[in-house]
Amino acid sequence: MAEKFVSEKTIKFLVHDVFDVSQLVQYPYFSDHSREVFDMVLDTALKMGEDLYRPYFEEMDRLPVSLVNGRVKVHPHVRTIMKECGAGGWIGAEFPYETGGQQLPLTISLLSEFIFNAANYSAAVFASLTTGAAGLIESFGSHEMKEKYLPKMMSGEWQGTMALTEPQAGSSLSDVTTVAEPTDKGYFKLKGQKIFISAADHDGVDNIVHLLLAKIKGAPAGVKGISLFVVPRERFADEGGLEFNDVNSAGIYHKMGYRGSPIVQLGLGEENNCRGWLVGEPNRGLAYMFQMMNGARIGVGLGAAGIASAAYYASLQYTKERLQGRKLSQKDPSTPQIALIEHSDIKRMLLLQRAVVEGSLALLTQCAIYHDLEKVLEGDQSEKYNLLLELLTPVAKSYPSEMGILSTSAGIQCLGGYGYCEEFPLEQHYRDMRIHPIHEGTTGIQGMDLLGRKMTMKGGKAAQLYIEELQKTIQEAREIESLRKYAGDLESAAKILQKVTAHLTSEVAAKKGPDYFLADATVYLEFFGYICIAWQWLKIAVSAVKALESNPAEKDADFYKGKILTMQYHYGYELPKINGLAEILTNSEGITVDATENLFED
Amino acid sequence: MNIVVCVKQVPDTEALIKVKADGSGIDEGGIKWVMNPYDEFGVEEALKLKEKNGGDVTIVSVGPARALETIRTALAMGAEKGIHINDPALEGADAYTTASALAAAIKEIPHDIVFCGMRAIDDDAGQVGSILAELLGIPQVTVVTKLEVADGKATAVKAIEGAQLVIETSLPCVITAAKGLNEPRYASLPGIMKAKKKPVDVKDAAALGISVAAKAKIVKMMPPPERAPGKIVGGEEAAEKAAQLVKLLREEAKVI
Repeated sequence: MAEKFVSEKTIKFLVHDVFDVSQLVQYPYFSDHSREVFDMVLDTALKMGEDLYRPYFEEMDRLPVSLVNGRVKVHPHVRTIMKECGAGGWIGAEFPYETGGQQLPLTISLLSEFIFNAANYSAAVFASLTTGAAGLIESFGSHEMKEKYLPKMMSGEWQGTMALTEPQAGSSLSDVTTVAEPTDKGYFKLKGQKIFISAADHDGVDNIVHLLLAKIKGAPAGVKGISLFVVPRERFADEGGLEFNDVNSAGIYHKMGYRGSPIVQLGLGEENNCRGWLVGEPNRGLAYMFQMMNGARIGVGLGAAGIASAAYYASLQYTKERLQGRKLSQKDPSTPQIALIEHSDIKRMLLLQRAVVEGSLALLTQCAIYHDLEKVLEGDQSEKYNLLLELLTPVAKSYPSEMGILSTSAGIQCLGGYGYCEEFPLEQHYRDMRIHPIHEGTTGIQGMDLLGRKMTMKGGKAAQLYIEELQKTIQEAREIESLRKYAGDLESAAKILQKVTAHLTSEVAAKKGPDYFLADATVYLEFFGYICIAWQWLKIAVSAVKALESNPAEKDADFYKGKILTMQYHYGYELPKINGLAEILTNSEGITVDATENLFED
Repeated sequence: MNIVVCVKQVPDTEALIKVKADGSGIDEGGIKWVMNPYDEFGVEEALKLKEKNGGDVTIVSVGPARALETIRTALAMGAEKGIHINDPALEGADAYTTASALAAAIKEIPHDIVFCGMRAIDDDAGQVGSILAELLGIPQVTVVTKLEVADGKATAVKAIEGAQLVIETSLPCVITAAKGLNEPRYASLPGIMKAKKKPVDVKDAAALGISVAAKAKIVKMMPPPERAPGKIVGGEEAAEKAAQLVKLLREEAKVI
């Protein structure tokens, strides 16, 4: 039997029971879709995950990318994947019909992407990066730009990238120094360096299109002077065909994991012959880029959840098969050994993984629904979902990423020594996971985004809407006898959240300033995350209890009971951590702000 | 060119199959249903022929309401229309009855070439394609791994023990597809969207004018007997182990 890396049943349970994604087809934009279409899309994604992605999972890690004569070589299967994703319409699936898309709800394409990520993260990023880059052109590019680039990108012939980071400007984007000099020929001349750019060069496609941040000569300092450009590796030549655009691959990084996908260092305009075309208006680059960035952040959370899912199923299978030890109450050494999964500590580690994987996936699905609703609704309603999505994006990015490290680590632990060895996939999942708290905005950045911007934006309106969403779920759960206790737990947690937030935003921020206010933003993000995932688990439990009321067959009943068990795990083992974190956050004396460098002498 | 592909919905190869307690069939609870993989080769070959020569592809399936999903999958891959033969009396039909239902439906539509899978992975009978060809009164080539169609005839390669047969036949004909014929494509998203709107005719036995009286009947299904556990040959030295093995093969297994 092929190894399992996702649960089809859980995905469909989320789609149909927990989130009722079919509600979206009542809106004209999605009206060509139906429950059957969603199922067929997900079935196709599962098939592709199994046949197209998973068989190359190990090989792409063991035969990593290389830089040969200034060009990056990737596994030859990357070309096949890009072709299939193009031919299947996956790259522009969410785009409107006019641009060749399928107007697919993000919720469904996100869950498909989850399947690909779980099957083979390195292999899955090529197409999704192209989707993000093409999305920017689709939203903000000129008609001509769309005609030039979108067909090639959506067919998987050309790779798209997002090129932000520079040697001196990583998390600190205001320090971008790549210069764009205007010409009178409709293009700009670019010069500069970009580092850590995913898929910025490779031989699995015929060309690369960078969506790149640079400063137009003379632009204001800081983020207000950043513009967005399309910079192809090969540009359209005046006399037809393509010609080299002076975008040079200066090096690749040798990474801990995620080795099947190249991360490249780029030199732009080494021969002073690199042309870029402005997207939208000058100095609006960062605002535009944030559309892609928000999508990319959800994408990172999704990648982490996917990897954690594959690790969970690998460890689950092992713990069911491997016999080891006896119950503590069994003293007779001549009795047969029991399977690992019969030991409480192993069950705890399996539940930890499951709580992370499915709790994260639920939150990501929730975000995607908000995105879809924002798109089809208008006015206040649209704004409401936009605010909720904005608020939850840093959490949906970092909870799966940070907890994913613990989750894959628990996966290794379930296998003991074998988990640490290459013969089993766990160690690779662990390595592949580690990038996620780093790329597309580190956890530190996400914490500041959540506490410093999102909780306070529009006078705290997003935070207010979020509490209302929590209340809705609490009310629903309260009507179910068996969930009443958990509804109460979530309500208390929401109160603690409000109290801690008020302390930080009014007390600390007002009296001590931003340095103290945001010093422990990462701790706040962690604190917020446990509560947010508890909300999602309560939602799942409500649907599971309802499903059990219709007396399903035994196997199905176990499935729903398993969901309730995992909810209980989260409420019993993870949620109580907020009490300690609340103490840290409210009693903080700002020791990390006040600590001076000389105290780190040794 | 008018191409017809017969498809069957079968349990996924990874589904855990349980025989019902009364032996009347398998327990269908929790089973994931998919298109028979050999039929997928047929669909792919039909689509390739259509892309090369023009024409259209009709999918025909005998099965309960859920079989419509399999027809839609083939439509999402690129076929034009479907015929769904859905009749409770045909549930669990034998190969002959299934083939006669297919034949009755196919006779009514133009068909230059008819594809079937070489067998279905559920009951492994491997008979429907051949009976269908007989009932249609047209030639058949079974277990085909390569096919060319040109100038009104088909040239098919069929593997036999130690050799390959190259068989030429006139059209129309029935081809049963084997692994190796092609790599079936994935349904595309635009294909899935279009599949919803493609026509599927639903017919029952009466509409087709066929008899549903089975010629073969499944008396009882039972799981295969459990295999006895293996034996690990003991002993310290290789020679000792070998002697032990010989003894076991001679006295217990009685094979030497």
